[in-house]
Formats: sequence, structure tokens, C-alpha cells
Amino acid sequence: MKNAFCIFSMLVLASGAQAAPPAAALFEDGVKPILAKHCLSCHGVDKTRGGLDLRTLEAIRAGGDSGPILVAGKSKESLVLQLLTPQGKPHMPPRKQLAEEEIATLTKWIDSLPAEAIARTFSDKEKNHWSFRPVAAAKVPALQDDWIKNPIDAFILERLRAKGLEPNPPAERIDLVRRVYFDLIGLPPTPEEFEQALGDKSADWYEKIVDRLLASPQHGERWGRHWLDLARYADSGGFHNDIDRPHAWRYRDYVIKSLNEDKPFGQFVREQLAGDELDPGNPETLAATAFLRNGPSNEDNMGRDREKYRLDELDDVISTTGTVFLGITLGCARCHDHKFDPVTLQDYYRFLAIFNSTVKKELPLDPKVKPVKGAKVPSLMVVTEDSAKPRTTRLLWRGDLNNPGPEVGPGVPVIFSATSIDFPAPAPDARTTGRRLALADWIAAPDNPLTWRVLANRLWQHHFGRGIVASSSNFGLGGERPSHPELLDFLARELVRQEGRLKPLHRMIVLSAAYRQSSSILSPARDQREQADPDNTLLYRYPKRRLEAELIRDRILFVSGNLNPQMGGPGIKPRIHPDLLEGSQRNKWPLVKKEGPEHWRRSVYIYTKRQLQLPLLELFDAPTSTQSCSRRDVSTVPTQALALMNDDFTQDQAGYLARRILKQAGNDPTKQATLILEVALSDKPTAARIKDAVAFLEEQRRLHQSAGKNADEAGVLALTDLGHVLFNTNEFVYLD
Amino acid sequence: MNLFTRRQWLQASGASFGMLALRGLLEAEALAAAPRNPLAPKPPHFTPKVKSVIFLFMYGGPSHVDTFDPKPALDKWDGKTIPVFRAEDASMVNRTKGKALRSPYQFNKCGKSGIDITEVYPELGKCADDLCVIRSMHCESNNHGPALFQMQSGFVQAGRPSIGSWLTYGLGTENQNLPGFVVLLDHQGAPVNGALNWSSGFMPAGYQGVPFRSSGEPIASLNPPSGVSKEQQLARLKLLRKWNEEHLAANPGESALAARIASYELAYRMQTHASEAVAIDKEPEWVRRQYGLDDKVSAHFGRNCLLARRLVERGVRFIQLYSGGNEGPRAWDAHDDIKKNHDLHCAETDRPIAGLLKDLKARGLLDSTLVIWGGEFGRTPVAEGGKGRDHHARGFSVWLAGGGIKGGVVHGATDEFGYHAIENPVSVPDLHATCLHLLGLDHTKLTYNFQGRDVRLTDVSGNVLHSLLA
Repeated sequence: MKNAFCIFSMLVLASGAQAAPPAAALFEDGVKPILAKHCLSCHGVDKTRGGLDLRTLEAIRAGGDSGPILVAGKSKESLVLQLLTPQGKPHMPPRKQLAEEEIATLTKWIDSLPAEAIARTFSDKEKNHWSFRPVAAAKVPALQDDWIKNPIDAFILERLRAKGLEPNPPAERIDLVRRVYFDLIGLPPTPEEFEQALGDKSADWYEKIVDRLLASPQHGERWGRHWLDLARYADSGGFHNDIDRPHAWRYRDYVIKSLNEDKPFGQFVREQLAGDELDPGNPETLAATAFLRNGPSNEDNMGRDREKYRLDELDDVISTTGTVFLGITLGCARCHDHKFDPVTLQDYYRFLAIFNSTVKKELPLDPKVKPVKGAKVPSLMVVTEDSAKPRTTRLLWRGDLNNPGPEVGPGVPVIFSATSIDFPAPAPDARTTGRRLALADWIAAPDNPLTWRVLANRLWQHHFGRGIVASSSNFGLGGERPSHPELLDFLARELVRQEGRLKPLHRMIVLSAAYRQSSSILSPARDQREQADPDNTLLYRYPKRRLEAELIRDRILFVSGNLNPQMGGPGIKPRIHPDLLEGSQRNKWPLVKKEGPEHWRRSVYIYTKRQLQLPLLELFDAPTSTQSCSRRDVSTVPTQALALMNDDFTQDQAGYLARRILKQAGNDPTKQATLILEVALSDKPTAARIKDAVAFLEEQRRLHQSAGKNADEAGVLALTDLGHVLFNTNEFVYLD
Repeated sequence: MNLFTRRQWLQASGASFGMLALRGLLEAEALAAAPRNPLAPKPPHFTPKVKSVIFLFMYGGPSHVDTFDPKPALDKWDGKTIPVFRAEDASMVNRTKGKALRSPYQFNKCGKSGIDITEVYPELGKCADDLCVIRSMHCESNNHGPALFQMQSGFVQAGRPSIGSWLTYGLGTENQNLPGFVVLLDHQGAPVNGALNWSSGFMPAGYQGVPFRSSGEPIASLNPPSGVSKEQQLARLKLLRKWNEEHLAANPGESALAARIASYELAYRMQTHASEAVAIDKEPEWVRRQYGLDDKVSAHFGRNCLLARRLVERGVRFIQLYSGGNEGPRAWDAHDDIKKNHDLHCAETDRPIAGLLKDLKARGLLDSTLVIWGGEFGRTPVAEGGKGRDHHARGFSVWLAGGGIKGGVVHGATDEFGYHAIENPVSVPDLHATCLHLLGLDHTKLTYNFQGRDVRLTDVSGNVLHSLLA
């Protein structure tokens, strides 16, 4: 109920309080009796249907749930009068028709109101919302403590101490190595790297690993996936027949490459929002614009509501752009002023005006090649504009095409007037409106209060499992508050100081003591900790985390020795059980009988068919890619267990692992057990574990031999069983 | 839950692979993990009328004016342009003009209530007094994709959780050994939008619909892969259990780890229970006949209806059962020939649906089950081409039956041509709100926080149709 007191009550007519006497008189003598007779029983006296109260002038101006009901001075554009006509939808009053003279009175009254636009004013609470304020020059707490490795730790420790808490001791080296490998490249260390990491006696052994991982091309594959979640990347349209997007992968490769190059984030923003305006001849920047069209589309069954579909698709662009770069849920203002945030209907349509002239194109990769319909030439999925003359944008009351309001120009939400921008008229020779580039420049500006906080928080979230702001795509009034606001500002400033390069910040975070501490829940202070901070928001320990869906699959392939490191190119289509393909004839997913190296590439390269996700990924909470996903769920359901227990994939890979072990360890059960435990879990097994494994191998060998297998076959099968168990263990999918 | 009986049951069923009966660990862990199990039963907002829903989805769009909404005016206007027609409503622009097409079917006054039901639904006609026919449905799109999304999720755009996901999210599932939201497809394949139709959208994947097959292995990956024996699997699971328990002991109180151990127990039991649930062949001959399994035409949908009853008996929350698959004539999408199309699809579904209603009633299950029949939209009263009908969103019929629903009732009306819903119009959110209400959920209070906003199935609208409720 906290928001039930109407934000709309702050909507005022600019000079409404002093409406001219004729209007006031008309209201008292003409309008009020009509309302009392026909309307107030639903809109005022006992109830306020649709959030609309018609009892007072102020309340009428405030409008209802779906926004204002009238435009002062413009009866024709006023929703209320449209609803009163016999064609009104929904017709008002529901089962009656107002007399013509009654409608005439209302018309006259609305026309007599001063013709000012409705202006939204902002409360101090809104204007001073933490994320809208400039990023502060955060002062690093002056704490002296041996635990502190860099400024991050001072912020963390200060908050912990304020609650009487202490952080965990450092993680074991073996755990930290695994953690930083999965975190930075999404894979475990190779056995050689593992041994080297454990044996390195130099003081900077950890820094060396971090620098090597950040420089590895696999870093882009790992962190690119995080961005692809945000960019709702997929290789098909989703609706109806789920039309393929054969060139979509170029965007995916662009993202991976950009992260590997450590492209300044400002440039990354400009390329994705306006690559065509920035550098129209460059295939890479053109490919980046697919950000604006990665959303679901319904090209094969648009029906007749073309304009509505076009606006729905742009709504996806507006919502995604708003949440991804700014952490503002702009999409909520399409039909009415935002319920929680100071974002108005007008703001939404001004934002629409930035994108309204865009068109989708498939441009040949080689600009010398002329596009031929139906011909398969390497192409780019591009968003651009055909002219520097913008398409007219009108505000739509209640988001309804049939209910257009005044024309609006491009703009960013008025609440950001401090850093607002002009959208200059395009140069005489311009080929596009330049509006998107102007927006991108505004977003990427060092003084944008949101961009750098949002970005720093995303990095933090992926390193620690939870952002400093938990609602990482919502920094508005309805979002969560930051747990460490000063630290967030410090990190945001770091990003700006590094000119938007991410790797220095990654490095600083993973080198911090906060990141390097143990994840152990066991502590003498456990009760105190759980009482003071049950969710570990203050980070007194590193949170234990489940590997993401892709990492589980990649780890299995890595461990079995089958991971094919090939980068880039069109998406791969691994085996999906034929029963699942049968359900839908529209999915031209090939029937794969036996997987080979071409299927065993990293999961970021799997073809994202919106209607047919790879079950293993889907079950482990890979996003549906229909909307931007800022934070994945971590659900635990029995169908996940079924997939890992029974899918051919785990069974096959366990078989490959068995042969790999056999080759290296020979027939000695203890050697086999030790090696397979070490390889599968990137860990040094305990004697008890080895003993269990040896006994298990023995028992399974007997089982298989009694089922008629010869000794060699039984040996492989027993090792397969053991590998399969390891793929299913909690240690395999949870990281310390 | 009474732990003792649960333990006894576990021992008796022999379906557990751990040594929990000895150590009593599962119970302790299950309790510790309970808040993390997204499918654990949750109390409704108020006393529900029903526990389960069977949604009989006539994919493609069944024609209301040929099934539940007779329009004598179409006889009179046959071949003539009707005044209410609006060119922008046609989906097949060049084929659908404004000329009325009379129904090829007679209607029978059925039951004591005398509800009009098409002659091609003779068996269903006998259940008329259980039906509450809504003749004034309308939706926002007359294209399959968006209209399907709206009927499932309330929104014409992709990416929202479907109603089955909302219910499993809101109420959990009664039977942990089976999924809470099951989808049964037509033998022709999935509808357009595919798996996005039963997607959990921005909710966790555990709430999405699980497609079940009525023959063979009911769920994907239910049983060990070929070449892996049950004995071998059990041995693997025992070692897994031991190591996972040791790992948990070193990390006591990590509820995620405990929950994952419990999920393997559930999965293992699901193997037995899901296979048992789909064992339709165990049903007596007369029951199978009641569902039309003795006739090639109705056998497939009949199997799914019978399976739906078995799932309801076993506590599955939401079952979506598609009639019609793929596209065009293989669905109820009668663009070319309304008679040929509806002759077939009515024959495929008549005995199965009537059998389902009667069987549920006989077992006392109809009181605790809501049955919904309908498609993503209706069909035009005007002709497409010569004898087909186009998509129509402005007025069409659905019906409800079961617990808390008045039987033998007609609600709302379209105009004399069956074009616009004019009397007591019912929107998709109204239908969803009513459905949630019957399950004891207030649609304005069932929310899921997505991107910082508490989102509802019914978004900002929807009214419970109290006048339909018994």
C-alpha cells in the first residue's frame, strides 16, 4: 500500500488552481451535477474504479490508473470524452448513454480550461533519490588492518565492524584457484595449471593467475555470456514459427571480442545503440546494433496491426535500453506515468522519439555485394535509419494507438535535467537523425549518475553472486537500496578513471581480501553473524555459489577431455532427445545420434532457439531470452536431477572420462580413483574418498561382470559409473 | 507432516535409495530445505473451491457460432455483407470479406438447462447441465502467436509466466513426486510459440510446464539412458548420497546443498511415480471406452483426457491439454472449410471430454477440479474464401465446469451475428482472475517481483466473475 497514495496527486495543471471563472462556474453548475448523476457511484463515493476519483477538480486532473483523462483545452484529445461516445471502449457509463447536451457541457468545460500541458512535478524524495545524485568522490575509510588488501576491503571491513562482525580467514589456495578460474574464464584449471598454482612459491602467485586469466580469450566467452543475458540475445524470433536469425551470432562474437579487447564501456554503449551512426562502414560496429533487435519478433505472423507490432518491438528496445544501461524501468511508463519512479508518460514517448525512426536491415558483410533477396550471403543484422528526417512521434494516452496525444521530440527523462542533452538538428548531409548517438553519448558521459554505478554493480554481482544493489537492473525508487553505497560510488569512479575499461576493476575486485576469503559457514561467530546479517549482505564470508547452466555443461566437457576450444562462428546444435524434437515440427533442430567435437564447444556458442532451449541449460535457469535478464534464478528442482542422472550427455561424457583415466592411470584402482577425483573436482582427494571410490569401482566391476561383460569392459563401465557420480555431486556444481 | 508416517511410507515404498530410514536424515533435511523447495505446497489466500485445473485448449481457434453460440441471423444473412463487419478485423485480408456464412450445423437444446450445443458435440451435449458457457469472451489479438500468449499469460508479448506457472508458484504442488504443471500435446505436435506457451517467463524454471507423453517415457530423461540398469543407477545414487551428505556435514546449514540432496530423492521417486501415473493400460476396458479409446479418431485426445484424470487424482495442479497441433487444418484453424475441420476436431474431442467430465464426477473429483474449454480466439461469422472462417478476437465462447462453477448456465452474449461481445463482456484477465479465485488466490495479491516491480498475472485489470460462481 505504500504507493497507493497517488503519485498522480502531484500532477497539476500549470495554472489549474486558478482556472478562469467561466471554467470554474461551468464546473460547479454544469459538470458537477452530471458527474454526480452518472459517474460518482463508481468513481468517488464508495469506490474508485480504475483508480479514478471524480469528486474534486484536483482528483479529476489527477486521472486514474491509466493516466490523465483529459487534456486541458482540448476536448477532442481527452480520453474521457472518447469513452462517453457510443463507440467508447470501455464505454462509460457502462450501461448508459449520456445525453448529447450533457456531453456538450463537458466538452465546453474542457475546452474552456487553460490550454496548458499537464506538468509533472517531482518531490524532494524523488529528486534526491540516491542513484540520481552525482556519483560522490567516496572517501576510503581510514582503517588500518592487516586484512585489507585494497580500498574495497576498507569499505567492507568498516561495515562489518560497525555490526561487530569480522570477515572469514582467507580461502585455501586450492579453493581460491578454482573460484577465480570459474569466475574469470568459466572453466577449471588444467591439471598442469592446477599443479603450478599449488606449487608456486612466489609472493605474487595469485596476481599472476589473475592477470593470465583476464588476458585469456576464454574470459570474453565467460563474461560475454553475462552481457548476452542482458541483451536478451537469441538466434530466433520466438513467436509463431520461431524464425531463425542466421546472422545473429555476429553480435555474440562482437560482445566476446569487445570484452576480450577490454573495449572502453563508453565505446561499447555507442556501438550498440548507434554503431551505424558512429562508423557506418565498419562491420563490427554495424553488428553491434543488433542489440536493438535481439528481442523476440513476430515477422511471420504480424497480422494487420503492423504499427502496433512496430511499437511493441520498440517498447522492448526502450525497456531494454533503460534497464541495461541506466537501471531504470522506462517500459513501465508506456501507458501511464511510472508508479514508483519519476518517469512520466511524456518521458517514455520522448525516449521513443529517439528510436522511432529506426529500421531493421540485413546488410551484406561485404558492402560491395548487393543484397539479393533469398540469396545466402554473409550478412549483418543491423538497425539503422533511412533518413535524417525523423518520423513524427506522438504521445499515446494509455499506450493506445487510437488515442494519440501531442507530438513529442526526443529527450531523456526530465528528472535528469541536470545532465540533460540537446538533440541537435542533423547536419545537411546526415544520413540518419543522430538521435541515438546523442543518447549514447549522454549515457556514456563520465558524469551520468546511473551508467557507471549500474555497470560497477553488475561486475560486483557476478563476482559475488549478489550486487551491492540487489535489483541490478532497477536503481529506481522501487528497487533495492545499496548495501555499500560508498563502495559502489568508489567502484563507479574507478570505472570512469579507467576510461570505462573493465579489466582493471575486475582485477581490483578479485584481488581484494573480501573476494579471497573463505566461504565456510563454520565460524565461532556463526550465531552472531546469522543474527546480525542472515543473508551475508555485509560479506563476512564468500558466498557458496552454484555454477551457471553453461558452466556445468562446460565443466563436464572439460573434465571428460572433450571440450573443443574453437571460438566464434554460427551457433552449434548439440543433441536434443528426439522425443523433445517431436513436439514441434517447426524447430529444424537436427536429429543428432552421436555427438562429436563439433558439438563439444563452450555453451555460449549453443544456438539459442527461443522455442527450443537445450534442456540442460533451460533446467539450470538459463534465461528464456525473451526479456533482458539481469540476475539468474538459482532453483533446485527434481527435473534437474533427472537430467544429470539420465541424459545421454552425462552418460556419454562419463564414458569418455573413464577412458581418459584408464589411459593415464592404467589398471591400478587406487591410481584410477585418485586421478578421477582430482580431475573431476579440481581438488586433492582425501584418503577416505579414495577408499570409497576404490570400493565402489570394485563393486561396480563385479556388477558389470555378473551382467556378462568381460573384465576390460567392466573396468571401463565401473569408471564410467564413478565419473557419472562425480558429475552429479554437489561439489561439482557448487563452488566454494 | 507427520514424520513417522512419512518414514514408514518411505520404508514401505522401498523407493528411497539412501539410508535415511535409519538415520532419519531426509526428514531433517527436507525440513531444513523446505523454504528453498519452490514447489512445496503453500497455503492459498482463502478457502479454495478447487485444487486442480484441466485446461482443454482447442488450439487454432474453435468457431463459437458453430459450437456454443448459435446465430440464426447468419442463416438469414448468408452470403450478404453484415453491417458489423470491420475490414481491419480480418487476418486473411484478401480472403475474408464481410459476407455472412451460415453454420453447417444444427444446435440441440441440451440437458435440463436447454443450453444450445452443436450437433457435432452429441456426447458433450449430455453434460450441458455441468457447463457454464461464456459467450462473451474477447481478447486482444487475432493472430495465433500473441493470442496464445495472452490466453496463457495474460500478455500478448512473449516472456510472461503462463497461468500454470502462476498457480504452481502460488500454491506449490501437492504431489512432490510429479511435476505441478503438466502439458499434454496433440499428436499433430506443439502449437505455434512452442514451449514458450508453457514457459515460466521470468520466474524460476521449476514453475514451467513439463510436457508429458501418454505413451512411452512420459517425461524426458525420466529413466536411465539405454545400457544403464536400475541396479547400476541405484549403486551410483548411493555413493552420490554418501558423498553429498559428507559434503553437507562439512558445510552444515547450507540449505541449498540440503535441498539439492532432497531433489535427487524426489527425482528418484518421480521415476516410479510418473511411470505409474501414465499407465493408462491399467484402466479397465469400460473406462477406456468411456474416453473414446476404442475409436481411432478420438483415441489420442481420449488418452490425454484419461491421463489428465489420473494426474488430477495424483495431485497435479495444472494440466494443459491441447487439441490440435502444428498449424492450419491440423489445428482448429478452419480457414478453408469450417465443416470439414470442425467435423474432425469435434469428433476427436467429443467423447473424450464427455468421458472426462462424467468420470471426474463419478469419482467425486469434479467438485475439486476446474475444467476449462476454449481456444486462443473464435472464428469470424463471415466467410473466408467460400466456406472457411477467419480468426476472430472480438467475441467468442469458452466454457467452465467443475467445483465452484454454476452448471447449466450461459453467461454474456455476442451481437446477433456473433461478432462483438456485447453483453457482460469477459476479458482474458477476467477469466484468469476467476480461475485464481476458484483456487483460493486473490489475483490482485498474487504477485512476483520482477525488475523491482510486483507483477500480476492480470497486470492492472481483471474482475472475478462472481455471477458464475456457485
